[in-house]
Amino acid sequence: MLVVSLWNYFRGYVIIRIEGLGLEKFINICIAEQIYLWDINRINYTTLEAKVSLKGFKAIRKIIRKTGCRIYIANKNGYPFWFSRVKKRKMLLLGAFFSLIFLVFVLSFIYRIDVEGNTLVSDEQIIKTLNKSGLTIGSNRYRLDLREIENNMLLEVNELSWIGIEINGVTAKIKVVEKVFPPEKIDKEMPTNVVAKNNGVIHRIIARNGDAVVKEGDIVQPGDLLITGIIKRDSLETPMLVHAYGEVFAKTYYETTKSINLVEIKKEKTENMISRRTIKLGDMVIAFSRGDIPFNSYVLETKVKRLISWRKINFPVEIITEEYYEAVEYEHKLDINDAKSKLHELAVEELVPTIPEDSEIVNSIVSFSQKGDVLYLDLVIEAIEEISEQIIIN
Amino acid sequence: MDKNSEIKKSLAEILELPKDVMLDLPKIVMIGQLQVYIENHKGILEYTTTRIRVNTKSGVLRIIGSNLSIKNIVVEEIVIVGNIVNVEFIN
Repeated sequence: MLVVSLWNYFRGYVIIRIEGLGLEKFINICIAEQIYLWDINRINYTTLEAKVSLKGFKAIRKIIRKTGCRIYIANKNGYPFWFSRVKKRKMLLLGAFFSLIFLVFVLSFIYRIDVEGNTLVSDEQIIKTLNKSGLTIGSNRYRLDLREIENNMLLEVNELSWIGIEINGVTAKIKVVEKVFPPEKIDKEMPTNVVAKNNGVIHRIIARNGDAVVKEGDIVQPGDLLITGIIKRDSLETPMLVHAYGEVFAKTYYETTKSINLVEIKKEKTENMISRRTIKLGDMVIAFSRGDIPFNSYVLETKVKRLISWRKINFPVEIITEEYYEAVEYEHKLDINDAKSKLHELAVEELVPTIPEDSEIVNSIVSFSQKGDVLYLDLVIEAIEEISEQIIIN
Repeated sequence: MDKNSEIKKSLAEILELPKDVMLDLPKIVMIGQLQVYIENHKGILEYTTTRIRVNTKSGVLRIIGSNLSIKNIVVEEIVIVGNIVNVEFIN
């Protein structure tokens, strides 16, 4: 009956003590007069304690003469009494009001600037430019025109293509997206060389301008000259510099080794269990139980309970329950075919993202070997890709 | 019982009306030994922490226990809490 007690609290009630002999008669009269009494307690033979509303108390004083009882107030309770008490202490009220105002005032400043999304531009540079635009640690959040600052930032820092400023409480969160610049165009009149940018075996070379210096089957390393822009002929006295360009395709090899243990040690839970409870307040951890875990091998299960998050606010309180189950170990032999396909999958998953998208995979070599209980896999993927890169001759 | 209430009783039985309404009898609800709820009482006769007597249409209802107190009391109903041992009618 929380609602009823809240209602009583807001209306205000008094705890009265009635002294006399005809106390039952007094209760009956109260009922007849429709005065609501609750929590009636017999203190002793001649005394009764009861709660009554303010209005009821006034009515009781009228009927008290009929019953021949004496009545006095033991305690006053409820919001109206509290309020009149507080009214007498005006300075307290004033202090509460000012501390609230002070809190609001203090929280209107920015205390932290977080930058995320940048790789090329440094945090310092962004924060420095932000400071110039008006967003600094200590600036008032209500005086900032965020859109204006964003525009200003984009003009100042050329490397950014987008910036978003979001103020969460006292932290300013800055998200940036950097521009991706297209590769530099080299002027057609400039003399250039074509060099390799990757390791590989030359598969096909088409020199559209300049002289090819490697042929099919040659092994090249990054930086090796492929097509030269320095043309030497017997008929020419001095070498002629041209703008060399062309397409060079090479076989490149991507290789990885993976291993897997064929005998796995698995753990099975038994019913023996001890649990530990810790409370995490922010970064502080309070452990309730200490001591070593009495099992040689165990399985740990962790459960985390959080307070419900209210309007995106996560209270930094967590209750962590760790359950340690005693475990029995046993060996589990993997099926060799399953292990092989699993290894292969792992290796492919690792290699494929490293291969450039526009290259063509022509071959893949898989070889397995076994040493004791360990199975090894070598995977070599052969791909044909364009490896040429133009550089200016100086 | 007089003839009038005799008729009322049989009418209540035929029409399946609740008897506490028709005959003005007390309706007593107990929650374990913790609480007694009495509807349709006719006033309180005695009240101590070990014994409460309540007047009803069908006689005096005596409640014996310990730490008894009246949770609330209005014209129609009374709620008694405490450790209840005995509830009986005395005619």
